[in-house]
Amino acid sequence: MPTYAFNDSDAVVIIGSGAGGGTLANELCQRGLKVVLLEAGPHLTAEDFVNDDWAAYEMLSWLDRRSASGNWRIAKDFPDAPSWHCKVVGGTTTHWSGCTYRFQDHELKARSTYGDIPGASLIDWPISLSELEPYYERAEAKMGVSRTNGLPALPANNNFKVMYWGAKRLGLSKISTGNHAINAVPYDGRPASIQDGFSVSGDKHGARWSTLNVEIPRAEATGKLDLRTGARAIQILHNEAGEANGVVYVDAAGTTHKQTAKIVVLAGNCIESPRLLLNSKTGRYPNGLANGYGHVGRHYLRHIIQTVWSIFDQPVNMHRGELMGGLVADFAEHDPARGFAGGYYIELNAMGLPTTAAFMNPGWWGYDFTNVIEQYAHMAGMFMTGEDMPQPGNRVTLNESELDAFGVPIANLHYDDHPNDLLMRNHGYKTLTGIHQAAGAKRCIEAPAYPASHNLGSNRMSAKPEDGVVDRNGETHEVKNLFIVDGSAFASGGACNPTLTIVALAIRQADFIATRASA
Amino acid sequence: MEIFSIVTRSITKNGVTAHKDPKLPPLPHVSDGPDWTNILNLFNPEQATLLVATVQTLYPHRGVAPTVYRRVVVNFDKLASQTPSAARLSLAFCDKLSAASPVSFTELAETYRISALKTIETTPEFIFVQRMSVRYLYDDLEIWASFGYEGASYHLGGYIKRGFDDLNWLPPLPNDL
Repeated sequence: MPTYAFNDSDAVVIIGSGAGGGTLANELCQRGLKVVLLEAGPHLTAEDFVNDDWAAYEMLSWLDRRSASGNWRIAKDFPDAPSWHCKVVGGTTTHWSGCTYRFQDHELKARSTYGDIPGASLIDWPISLSELEPYYERAEAKMGVSRTNGLPALPANNNFKVMYWGAKRLGLSKISTGNHAINAVPYDGRPASIQDGFSVSGDKHGARWSTLNVEIPRAEATGKLDLRTGARAIQILHNEAGEANGVVYVDAAGTTHKQTAKIVVLAGNCIESPRLLLNSKTGRYPNGLANGYGHVGRHYLRHIIQTVWSIFDQPVNMHRGELMGGLVADFAEHDPARGFAGGYYIELNAMGLPTTAAFMNPGWWGYDFTNVIEQYAHMAGMFMTGEDMPQPGNRVTLNESELDAFGVPIANLHYDDHPNDLLMRNHGYKTLTGIHQAAGAKRCIEAPAYPASHNLGSNRMSAKPEDGVVDRNGETHEVKNLFIVDGSAFASGGACNPTLTIVALAIRQADFIATRASA
Repeated sequence: MEIFSIVTRSITKNGVTAHKDPKLPPLPHVSDGPDWTNILNLFNPEQATLLVATVQTLYPHRGVAPTVYRRVVVNFDKLASQTPSAARLSLAFCDKLSAASPVSFTELAETYRISALKTIETTPEFIFVQRMSVRYLYDDLEIWASFGYEGASYHLGGYIKRGFDDLNWLPPLPNDL
């Protein structure tokens, strides 16, 4: 592996090695570019991972303190940890159930399709589905997505049988085990799933695509990747022309370095990327980088995510097998007759006993709770992910009252539910509960949202500089040579799990950056 | 003091065997007798007994041995010994709960225990102890087996040959999914 000099001005410096940053690093290395990949966390491998809810959470997660405000329930239940992503090589692709769905055409035209919704700051994406489709195809091929490219579906597990028969009895029709970057059969050097039920705990078996087990090793094989772990970026630098040209970071030993860059790419997930921009104030950019129109950190999205857990007379054993191997797509369309904008997907959801107990309804105690949790083996789970409305006040800011170990203000995450969000939540709960009841549930528990892993929109992509932070190629409108390749660049959230779109956008951005770098 | 002395990585209850990942520490050994508090670093015997009674009142499970609840408090003690904020919250909880009724909490009937806990339910100390009770109680291998959670599976070949699709109380699925 090469070590580029701190003053090497030829390298692309990427901050974050997850779905966006890890994929982009490999794509650029394959095109012959020099890449410095800064990852705040350690380089763990399958050998390090454990089949254990809490031990894996503590091993993989970004646990630095944050603060939360707003009327969302998370501010009460998880005030120090309102969002969930990872701090390891591979980023949040190490904690991932492999769901890989494409945006629908109308979701990329959210403002045009949904119209003027009071309180919502909707815009259209500056790219269309037809422009994205070739990149979706490349992403699905590299990730080995089930039910694409001739690959078989994941086999149905116990929890799916419950979902299937409930949905069928309700007359729903778009029911399948879904699309996952998890091998049902061996593919691309990775084995088939053994249904161990721990794909979100790092995935010891390696049946699931991640940047840790696919993109980064392939980038290393090119001899172009300089991966630096334990490297915590704290500031982005620019030259006299106002163009990004370096990154200040602190290494694992606590030493501060300045790495010069030809191009800087942020891929630190939806909280850390805007936090870095806001923390990189200069005389020229007094509100932080790329923030001339004040959009950095705003329009934060987390999807309408919630789970229903239901108890049946007979055993389900939902913990056996791939956790999210099921999809009902009947509500994915935008249907104004439902009384709200946007759609949602219903997906299978299973958790181990430790996290089921913790997230079912934080704060719940007494006999009612213990009666429910004692029936864990008879419990089935389903989840919804739907489009939430962007609002300018839903945002990441610097909480100047508390500095982290690196002297950077901690992030505050503010989120108020939009009326459209609540209407969709209500509709979704009734649908999820209805499906389980149709399958014979004797009790359904409508669980509240837990800290989001679908974090989107806080550096959004826009056609016009005054509407967002980055352009159609993910380059900031204001600061040349500064790019964003994580979910924060989404112009709107869509309904589906975001990873496939992050990967597709990363491949697309690699084409653009390679052209820029060779110019 | 050696806490992790017994190698227990699988437990069977009612025909269900629960497994802890082989890389993780086994269950701590906790004595059945009143001397169990000797292994604690931070809590004195009164505080430890109060915390056990608290976890039993918050999360009552018939048939779950007192040792399981004691293990939760051993984990509390370990956390509080390492984290000053956890120590502060745990000790303040004990003071607040002790002050919540004229009779010692551990001497109260269950209905009065519940009332006493409800009087402090919105305090940060209660929220901390309640969340940590869930965190540790439902992470206990004996609880896993009792409630049918089999736990770690990779070292056993996953569930692909161990029942991931054995549900048979619904009709078979169609073949054209």
